Amino acid sequence: MTQDPYIALAGVRKGYRIGGEAIPIFSALDLAIPRGDFVAVMGPSGSGKSTLLNMLAGIDVPDAGSLSIGNHRLDRMGEAARSTWRAHNMGIVFQFYNLLPMLNAAENVELPLLLKPLSARERRVRVGKMLDLVGLSGREKQYPSMMSGGQQQRVGIARAIVSDPGLLLCDEPTGDLDRKSADEVLEMLSFLNRQLEKTIVMVTHDPQAARSAKRTLHLDKGQFVERAAS
Amino acid sequence: MTFLDLAWKNAWRKPLRTVLLMVCVAVAFLIYGLTASFLAGSQGASAASEDIIGVMSAAGRTQALPRAHLSRIAAEPGVAAVGYMARVRGFVDVEKNVIAVSAVEPQALMAVNGKELGLTPALVEALGKGRDRVLVGRALAEAQGWRVGQRIAVTAFQIARQDGGQDWRFEIAGIFEGESASTDTYFTIARYDYVNAARARGKDTVDAFIVRPRDGVKAGALATRIDALFANSAAPTRSQSEKQFLEAFLRQYADIGLIVDLVTGAAFITLLLIVVNTMVFAVRERPFEIGVLKTLGISRLRIMALVLSETLLVFIIGGSVGLALAKLGTVLAGPTLGLVFSPLVLVKAAAIVLALGLATGLLPAINAMRIPIIIAFRTR
Repeated sequence: MTQDPYIALAGVRKGYRIGGEAIPIFSALDLAIPRGDFVAVMGPSGSGKSTLLNMLAGIDVPDAGSLSIGNHRLDRMGEAARSTWRAHNMGIVFQFYNLLPMLNAAENVELPLLLKPLSARERRVRVGKMLDLVGLSGREKQYPSMMSGGQQQRVGIARAIVSDPGLLLCDEPTGDLDRKSADEVLEMLSFLNRQLEKTIVMVTHDPQAARSAKRTLHLDKGQFVERAAS
Repeated sequence: MTFLDLAWKNAWRKPLRTVLLMVCVAVAFLIYGLTASFLAGSQGASAASEDIIGVMSAAGRTQALPRAHLSRIAAEPGVAAVGYMARVRGFVDVEKNVIAVSAVEPQALMAVNGKELGLTPALVEALGKGRDRVLVGRALAEAQGWRVGQRIAVTAFQIARQDGGQDWRFEIAGIFEGESASTDTYFTIARYDYVNAARARGKDTVDAFIVRPRDGVKAGALATRIDALFANSAAPTRSQSEKQFLEAFLRQYADIGLIVDLVTGAAFITLLLIVVNTMVFAVRERPFEIGVLKTLGISRLRIMALVLSETLLVFIIGGSVGLALAKLGTVLAGPTLGLVFSPLVLVKAAAIVLALGLATGLLPAINAMRIPIIIAFRTR
């Protein structure tokens, strides 16, 4: 018996209009990612990596075709429903961390928990655990401006996993980091995939980053070309 | 952390801007608090009674009426009690220190207006113990620093004594408090028999009769009937409620209510424009962060509520400071200006704070709510 894929795109079509000109991105994209997978998506600029990630995040929707994650049809949901779904099922790690500058590390991590029915104490405990997990214990009160890029990205990862989502979407998570910090972040993502069984989809330009994934998908001209991870 | 904490931290991301906005709000509500206190106070007409009728000469307020009208007014069905008064305006020590003395028949005044003025049987009895005795209102006593037992001299502007002098000497027999803070107590109550006997002209005349209608009798209808009694006499009357009288009196100078509305309206419209403009820019500065919040799953409505909370915080803090200063101002101004920062003023101000806070936050909140995440991320 084959297991249903956790993420499934079938015949997805997506394009944009810029100045009256139609620009197709995907004409009939298919994709299946099982639960617990760690997939790197690579491809040249303009190949549709960000569009794919936006659709997986429910930020954008396909023009046609189906997109389901964990048996939920995102393409059929309205914006409010996708927003709620995102809050409970997905964490996003950004290239530029995207921490709110007026909040300290603990408060940034706590943000997604404001949508959960948790007491202040429960939230505090969970935030503490996440910061501990990413190696930032004792830095709860530090503001983003006081942290290095690597530390900020670790706060970003803690924020992405604090609500215990099944899916982690990473948009160039090492793109703004030096090699050492990048390796630490990749090691952490591998740990989250292996130990906590998070399904991870990571868009990257960095071949070394892609090697942390279980497999790499190459996106070119709106189609995937799969190769085994080396 | 709560969403309110988040709004609070957002509001303080540029402290100088936030403080300046709060100062704007505080100044507007200081103006509102003081002007509303003026209207609610004894200088305004809002505290005046609509039930007590003043009967004055139809020829004008400065014209006297014969005291003989008293018996006909008292005999009119619907009149519960009637008193009368002669007004002596003058000054104490220096000409700009103007005070008013109402010469009355004490028992009649007690029956008509005693409750509103805060007169007690003991005060009326004290007044009755000497012809030159007076009762002084609390506001006037505090402003002049007068005490019970003190002797005072009022130099009348117009009412001369039989001996040719203008100085009227009185002994303070007591101080009346007024029923509430809004009651005008910036005057003195003297005995009519003393003033009437000592004045050179205008004997047995009064400046006004004061009438309290019986329960269930409409003041307006009774006023019309009283005026009808004297319509064909040598001294026709014009009767009005105390409130009507005071409003008409204030309108001699200007429509105070309209002026106050215009001043506060201008202040609030200016405030609205300043805060809306500032908040629109404040939100435009951070679409990227709003995009981040949306990707975290924070709904459009919560984003809207977040921005509205920011403006509400600015208004609540600024408004509270402004109203506290207005309250302080009414206390420091003392009784002379008759400002009363009543609970009603506070409730109205609180409602305006909320309404303006929401109104000014609405446009930036809708902008924040509507910005698509993809567009928000492009602004980085």
